[in-house]
Amino acid sequence: MVKRMLESIIIIGTIVGLIYAIIALGFTLVYGISGIVNLTHGVFIVVGAYLYGVLSDYLLKINIFPPESPYLIPIIAMFLSFIFTAAIGSIFYRLTLHQILGDEISILIASICSCLIFQKLIYITLGTSQAFAYRISPLAYGKIRIINTDVLTGQALAGTISLITFIALSIFISKTKVGRAMKALSQDLEASMLMGISTEKLYMLTTAISAGLGSLGGILYTSTVTFGVASYMWMSGLAVSFTVVVLGGLGSVKGSLLGGLILGLAEISAMTILPGAGVLQSSIPFIVIILVLIIRPKGLFGKRIEME
Amino acid sequence: MQTVPIARYFRKIYTNIATHIYDRPPRTLAFLIIIMLSILPYSGMDLIKLEILISANLIAILAASWDLLVGRTGQISLGHALFFGLGAYTTALFIKYLGWPFWITIPISVIVGAGVALTIGIPCLRLKGPYLALVTMAFPLALQGFLYYYRDIFGGETGIGLPKIFPGLRFFDRIVANYYLSLALLVLSSIIIYKIATSKTGIIFISILDDEIGAKACAINTTKYKLMSLAISGLFGSLAGAFYGHIVSGSANPRLFVDTTALMPMEFSLIPIIAAVLGGVGTIYGPIVGVYIYQILYRYILRDVITFNIFGYIVTVDRHMQLFIFISFIVLLIVKWPRGVARAIVEKLEDLEEPRELEEILKEKTESKQM
Repeated sequence: MVKRMLESIIIIGTIVGLIYAIIALGFTLVYGISGIVNLTHGVFIVVGAYLYGVLSDYLLKINIFPPESPYLIPIIAMFLSFIFTAAIGSIFYRLTLHQILGDEISILIASICSCLIFQKLIYITLGTSQAFAYRISPLAYGKIRIINTDVLTGQALAGTISLITFIALSIFISKTKVGRAMKALSQDLEASMLMGISTEKLYMLTTAISAGLGSLGGILYTSTVTFGVASYMWMSGLAVSFTVVVLGGLGSVKGSLLGGLILGLAEISAMTILPGAGVLQSSIPFIVIILVLIIRPKGLFGKRIEME
Repeated sequence: MQTVPIARYFRKIYTNIATHIYDRPPRTLAFLIIIMLSILPYSGMDLIKLEILISANLIAILAASWDLLVGRTGQISLGHALFFGLGAYTTALFIKYLGWPFWITIPISVIVGAGVALTIGIPCLRLKGPYLALVTMAFPLALQGFLYYYRDIFGGETGIGLPKIFPGLRFFDRIVANYYLSLALLVLSSIIIYKIATSKTGIIFISILDDEIGAKACAINTTKYKLMSLAISGLFGSLAGAFYGHIVSGSANPRLFVDTTALMPMEFSLIPIIAAVLGGVGTIYGPIVGVYIYQILYRYILRDVITFNIFGYIVTVDRHMQLFIFISFIVLLIVKWPRGVARAIVEKLEDLEEPRELEEILKEKTESKQM
């Protein structure tokens, strides 16, 4: 009994943790490369999920895809949502945050106010009833058995997609020219500018990628865990990103994977052990944050951190 | 030819007044405003509308305390609602479980607010980076989960009821009494915050904002002063929250922390920010004016639905749309003038050159032509 419970905690926790890692990945990427704490990341999670929901509903309605291939619609909707959110993210960055680069207070204030703008935009475009709850259908139906535990196929798929995304991103950063330029930018701004790297373009690209990753995380989270999205969910999305990032160390990609896994496991085990702890879901990240800040303030793979 | 001397004279006077009032608000002006505010209940004003000013007074304390932390010390808090809600909940818990009167529990809640600020600050402020902002923003969200989980202790969604401060008075008298109480609190605490900000400690705060490494080089223990600023800020924030619970909301409820379903989801965290942007970051009295502007705009001027008739098309603007426009405007202001609107205007005025005589300009032009 205990063994089975432990197994299910580990498997479900790993899947949820991978999704959390994807949610936080964009946040940590932007901080690592440009040093901007982009709080609008929380909103891109919600916007991405909404775009995915609306697009997949639309694609289902126009009925041009053959019913034999049920994975086609989610994949196309996910791809389009990624692209659109990335575009929104980079345009938004260029219009607002780029003009106050270097002013940390203003960036934080502007980005938290912009979260509200996007939330109200969802209200205006979709109406109040849909802005409070929009159903997101799971990626796939059915169950798979992994090590004596029944896992929904959608959840297993989400875990796989996030793993693939992680591998793709790390290959992108370490192997391609643009990725290496990003790495250089994070290490030494002035030297990389001297080498002919355009900071403006790269910052825009970074925010685009981060917004796209945020949308992907939002889609995976809403289609496997909550099965719906609400416009105010950016706050919990941000809380999750903060925790993962503080756990893994600000600006570290590897750290965000590990932080996400730890958070997912902690959350799932707390929710299995404590009865009726669903409302505590937003509190568990915070307890983890405080514990980490007290015990190991640098995070697991802390990078841009100096102790005072 | 000459420019009109009278216009120049007025411009000079205007510049002087604007810069001097903004730099160091003269006591007479502050005194006049206080007198104006204190005769408001007897000026034939609708007493129901006075309640808006009561909440404005109390939120203004929160905004001033936020400004001491962010505008003066440069340590960013995005969740000042934490202290606000904490103050209300502390007095509520002491009143509910120990039955103490409010004049003991409110000081306790103030101390608890400062203590919680210190306990958050010690892990966060040791690190360089935006940790304080992240943690303060996440803390209210986390506390909300606890409030719902331990429902029988904290009362769940409805929260814990708080007794009124003037139970003996009738409805209208009570509003007037509450108004004077809140005004007195605002005046006292803003004077104290302003005095702290202009004292030697306050100058050290500004030095941390301007150049932390330089401050350290002058043998200032910056972490200690950052913690001090955070504790003072938390102290006044929870003072405002405790009185807000007693006077305005009547209960300590989770909506004081975060209200996800409300029009503005993190109201008490965002109002100080918006007010500071409107009034000027780092001036202490700027955010107070900003809160007044915000409350009057939000509660008096904006209605539930505004309808326009533009060339036969009827356009309705509901609350969400209004807030959308308002916040977009605020973001525009932040991007354009990062340190607040008022400060930007004053800096513009200070930078203005003396208007030159036309003859001089002509002379310069001819000289350059000759060369």
